[in-house]
Amino acid sequence: MYPFIDFLNNFLPFLYIITFGAYSFDFIKTGKRRFEFARLSLFTTLLLHLIYLFSRTAEFNHPPITNVFEIFTILAFSVCFSYFILELVTDIRGTGPFIIIISIIFQVISTLFIEDLAEVKEVLRSNLLGSHVFTALLGYSGITISAVYGFLYLILYKDIKLSRFGLVFNKLPSLEVLEKLSFYSAIIGFVLLTIAMTIGVIWLPKAFPDFSYSDPKLISSALVWILYGLGIISKVLGKWRGKKVVVLSIVGFILALMSTMLSNFVAQSFHSFY
Amino acid sequence: MNLISVCINHHTAPVDARESLFLQEEEIRNFIGEIKGRFLAEGLVISTCNRTEIYGLPSNHNINSQSIQNFLLQYKDRQTFNGEYFQHFFSRPAIEHLFSVAAGIDSLLIGDNQIFKQVKESIEISEETHFTGFLTRRIFDAAIKAGKRAISETEISEGAVTVSYAAVQLIEKILSALGKKSALVIGAGETGEIAAKHLVERGIGKLAITNRTNERAERLAQKLNGRVIPFTNFKDSLHEYDVVISATSADNLIITRKDIETVMRKRNNASLVLMDIAVPRDIDPATSGLDYVFYHDIDSLNIIVEQNLEKRKKEIPKVKAIIEEEINNFLNWYNSLEVAPTIKTLRDHFEAIRHEEVEKNVNKFSKEDREKLDIVTKRIINKILHYPTVELKKNNEINPSPDESAMRISIIRELFGIDKNEKEERK
Repeated sequence: MYPFIDFLNNFLPFLYIITFGAYSFDFIKTGKRRFEFARLSLFTTLLLHLIYLFSRTAEFNHPPITNVFEIFTILAFSVCFSYFILELVTDIRGTGPFIIIISIIFQVISTLFIEDLAEVKEVLRSNLLGSHVFTALLGYSGITISAVYGFLYLILYKDIKLSRFGLVFNKLPSLEVLEKLSFYSAIIGFVLLTIAMTIGVIWLPKAFPDFSYSDPKLISSALVWILYGLGIISKVLGKWRGKKVVVLSIVGFILALMSTMLSNFVAQSFHSFY
Repeated sequence: MNLISVCINHHTAPVDARESLFLQEEEIRNFIGEIKGRFLAEGLVISTCNRTEIYGLPSNHNINSQSIQNFLLQYKDRQTFNGEYFQHFFSRPAIEHLFSVAAGIDSLLIGDNQIFKQVKESIEISEETHFTGFLTRRIFDAAIKAGKRAISETEISEGAVTVSYAAVQLIEKILSALGKKSALVIGAGETGEIAAKHLVERGIGKLAITNRTNERAERLAQKLNGRVIPFTNFKDSLHEYDVVISATSADNLIITRKDIETVMRKRNNASLVLMDIAVPRDIDPATSGLDYVFYHDIDSLNIIVEQNLEKRKKEIPKVKAIIEEEINNFLNWYNSLEVAPTIKTLRDHFEAIRHEEVEKNVNKFSKEDREKLDIVTKRIINKILHYPTVELKKNNEINPSPDESAMRISIIRELFGIDKNEKEERK
């Protein structure tokens, strides 16, 4: 089983890069066949990635959530998976490369540094931890996609304002669609983060003797949650719109990314598994 | 193929010359009535603001494209007209020109869909006036096929190539679901009308029109199912619209930055698209500095138009390849309509059937009978083919019109499935 897992681990970045290439080609030179190939490539990549994740779980007898590099591979998967569903539901075109590149970054880091850990702390085999991490990761995928669409919104907004009618203008969906995609992804991300945090707050004090409410990861996650909450409420109430909301989404994503880095590599807490 | 054509179009003649030879639909019908039989046995007359073109098969050997040109000038009472304004085509070039027109690559606006519709309408007129025949119908069908393929298989008609359409495309890049949006068109002149029509075509939810002369606004609103707002106080309701297209002939600005600042406050900063397609401009360009206000004037819309025209030009080789293919298909069919090759193909076809059946059943006969079987079956085939062969040969002897001759041969070929078999063999 090990060689198969290792093979998939090394093969996945290439699959994501091929898919990225296919979507980029379709972005530059739109064509029905090119798009179908890109979609098929994404589907194949996701399928093999899923097989990889299940194989790891079966081989090492724990879900791949015990260290940051395992989490990165799940993030790579969940970001692209969320995008795949979004693409199927909305039939949106022209945004694939911008999302897939995020998965490539996560997967390449994971492939390079992931270790085959058969022995992990007992607490990391818990189902509640699984639910906590799983919902948190899907939540992060939501806010990642929201940030990407927010970023695309800002580029297109500027291009239209400055009468720059190039590739971005021609290929991206309308500003209003990008704003909606960013907002809906943020809502999904926020809801899932809320669930993850609720599970965490109930379960963490019982599972970890050294649990502390002043844990940096907990504080930064709460900050991200508050930020998104405020943004969503302002948007729903009609106080904020467009640029302001997408900028908030991007800031929230950067903050979430930094909080993960901080808690895993810098600060030592019960939230650091690596 | 003796198709002739005489054309005056935007490549060859200035607008006033083209205008003077333009034929309205009723005139086309009358003109066809005049030339049918006298000059052309069958044909087609296309007349638009950019071209008047006549195609057809001469009714006798003395008729050429110059005769048609002279008659057209006489018909429009323009005998002193400059002859250099005309183009003349004969045979394959005539077909090629018609296909290029239908495919939109001969248009002033390359890839213009309008000309395809106009060619189709002209063909319908020819059909209605019984001006089409067996051969021309086939040519016109091929022309329509070439036009359709150019539109669907290439990007020759993609993107906006007029300012008013570019404005609507830009609006769609900012706002989604136009059905839920409202638009105000200021100015009910030609430009305003075209822009308003494009908005309706793209499914705008609510359309309002305002114009200095109220009657004109009412006429346009009625045509497009919109509502009219009095010009004197249109600014009071400006905040209700997501899109404002201005196309008046006013000498000064009619909407200032201050107006838009007020509007944006009332709209709670919901996106507002301002399209100023008037010259001189109607809306203060300084409004572009406001957040969520998307202001564009004719210059920025022209950038889109130029880019799209460039893209369309790059598609021309692809369209030419389609035209070439369709011409070859047509000419292959046409060339097959000759008597001698048809007789030979017909005989080969029957001989192949006879041979196949004899081979299949030969074992059912004794060795002595096999030779007889061969002779008898050959005799049957000869008898069956005798009459069609004689009829085909008559074609050469009595010398009917090319159209009639082609039709006879084509019927025989189709009846016995010769073309189908040949195509399968080629595959």
